Amino acid sequence: MVSGSLREPGSAPPRTPELLPTPLSTASYGRAFDLVDLARHTLNSLIVAGLTVPLAVLVASWAGFAFLLVAGRARSILIGLSFAALMVPLTALLVPRFVLFRWLELTDTWVPLIAPALLGLSPFYVLLYYWSFRRLPPELLEAARLEGMQPFAMWRRLGMPLVRPVTVAIALLAFITTWGNFLDPLIYLFNPDLYTLPLGLRSLEALDRTNYPVLLAGAVVATAPVVVAFVIAQRYFLHEDRGAGWLGR
Amino acid sequence: MSGIVLEDVRKRFGETRALDGFDLTAAEGELLVVVGPSGCGKSTLLRCIAGLEAVDDGLIRIGDQDVTRIRPAARNVSMVFQSYALFPHLTVRENIAFGLVVREEPKEVVRARVAEATQLVGVEALLERRPYELSGGERQRVALARALVRRPDAFLLDEPLSNLDAGTRVEMRTELRRLHREIGATMLHVTHDQVEALTLGDRIAVMDAGRVRQVGPPDELYLRPQDRFVAAFLGTPAMNFLPADAARPFLPVPDGTVLGVRPEHLRLVADGVPARVEIVEVAGSDAFVHVDRGLVSKVPSDGRPAEGMQVGLAIDRADAHLFDEASGARVEWT
Repeated sequence: MVSGSLREPGSAPPRTPELLPTPLSTASYGRAFDLVDLARHTLNSLIVAGLTVPLAVLVASWAGFAFLLVAGRARSILIGLSFAALMVPLTALLVPRFVLFRWLELTDTWVPLIAPALLGLSPFYVLLYYWSFRRLPPELLEAARLEGMQPFAMWRRLGMPLVRPVTVAIALLAFITTWGNFLDPLIYLFNPDLYTLPLGLRSLEALDRTNYPVLLAGAVVATAPVVVAFVIAQRYFLHEDRGAGWLGR
Repeated sequence: MSGIVLEDVRKRFGETRALDGFDLTAAEGELLVVVGPSGCGKSTLLRCIAGLEAVDDGLIRIGDQDVTRIRPAARNVSMVFQSYALFPHLTVRENIAFGLVVREEPKEVVRARVAEATQLVGVEALLERRPYELSGGERQRVALARALVRRPDAFLLDEPLSNLDAGTRVEMRTELRRLHREIGATMLHVTHDQVEALTLGDRIAVMDAGRVRQVGPPDELYLRPQDRFVAAFLGTPAMNFLPADAARPFLPVPDGTVLGVRPEHLRLVADGVPARVEIVEVAGSDAFVHVDRGLVSKVPSDGRPAEGMQVGLAIDRADAHLFDEASGARVEWT
């Protein structure tokens, strides 16, 4: 993809695999930004992801921690409901969601794109947090209870610091999901000024369908933030080095 | 400091009775050790006193206050957990100060109390480390400091020495004893280790199946066990028991009773009841001699018989215990 984006705009795809094109050119990037307001769309995507990801992490972690604190049967019911919600295909909710947001007069805004974060974005994230909190030795929370700590403080001062790698992983997954979300912006956004990057790429494809270097340059622009996010995040969840006895086990 | 009183405390988990009419009183400033086999309800007992488990019935008092139904933090007790429950992301200093910070005590108070507690348990040099950088003994000390810093009415210690190696355990046992003497606090210490109980406690409560079997000073429990369970539980190797028929060659035992004799009181003599030595276990200065009558005798290592030897056994009446065969209750000699 990177190699293809460095070809001259308008040039035909190579007939054999080619690591570095000759001549090397960044003109396709300029052309992509000329054809479509990619800078604006990138900024829009960053704003949407910047609001969605923290909100999703916050809500999913609250819900996961609440699952931990809820006793016995109620917890089983909540977990069962989360699994049930996980099994509902997102496409099955397209029409009811659209009707709801249109009734609320929130179409052609970013609200429908950000709103799922108010439910933790996915039940999977809630369950992932719950499983992570459940791995913590229960005595840690009991010791905090004995000291008079309230549930919100337990979540903030004990739960979250102890599951930091999970938070990084969930934030990354939520970012990838939000960043690459094509369907929701397509359904809810009509004003080009509000378009996110996936819609910008579609516009690019519509305007110059066979100009592969330009299309690939757009794809690189869309992919780069995800790669950068992964590189930054991986050191938190791949190199977690706190030695034996972490968590007192 | 305050004493702890439990009256007819009951706690069930489904069909299991963890505490079944539990009565116990720890006097103010006393170090009371609750000892019993695994699963007898010891940890549940501490959790009920701390308020981490709600009791089904009964009364718990700390000092003059009925704490049976109040929340854990309002009971003003500190608990040291078996796993120490140190917060791994906090430094030793932050761990020790945790309870005071949660209660929003002034910074000067926190600083002074942390300094006092760390000095008491000797962890001044570890304050900036994190728990995973500490040895088991050091973690134990930090957990004790965290319990001390809040100056609670009572301390609850849930098998705090069980995760330590043998050497550190002995060292920490002495340390706990010294600490108790220095601060004069009421401590309820739970363990399954009878040696720990016998060496540590002002008094011992032996617990079985959610009930107290006997409470008293260590030597009283060892020398005058009130029932067969207590007699069997305390002492290593365990007390020998002989049904009346098997005991009669040694002593005139009444029908319907069981004779109990500790291994150190089963003497090897030239003209005693004949028996053949099956196994001899040497444990430092002592040796445990297993004979073919199913009995064990504890003798000095340097005077031990060889395996396969014929020996004579004798029991003095003053050292022998009688228990009712059906109920297991102690029976006095007539």
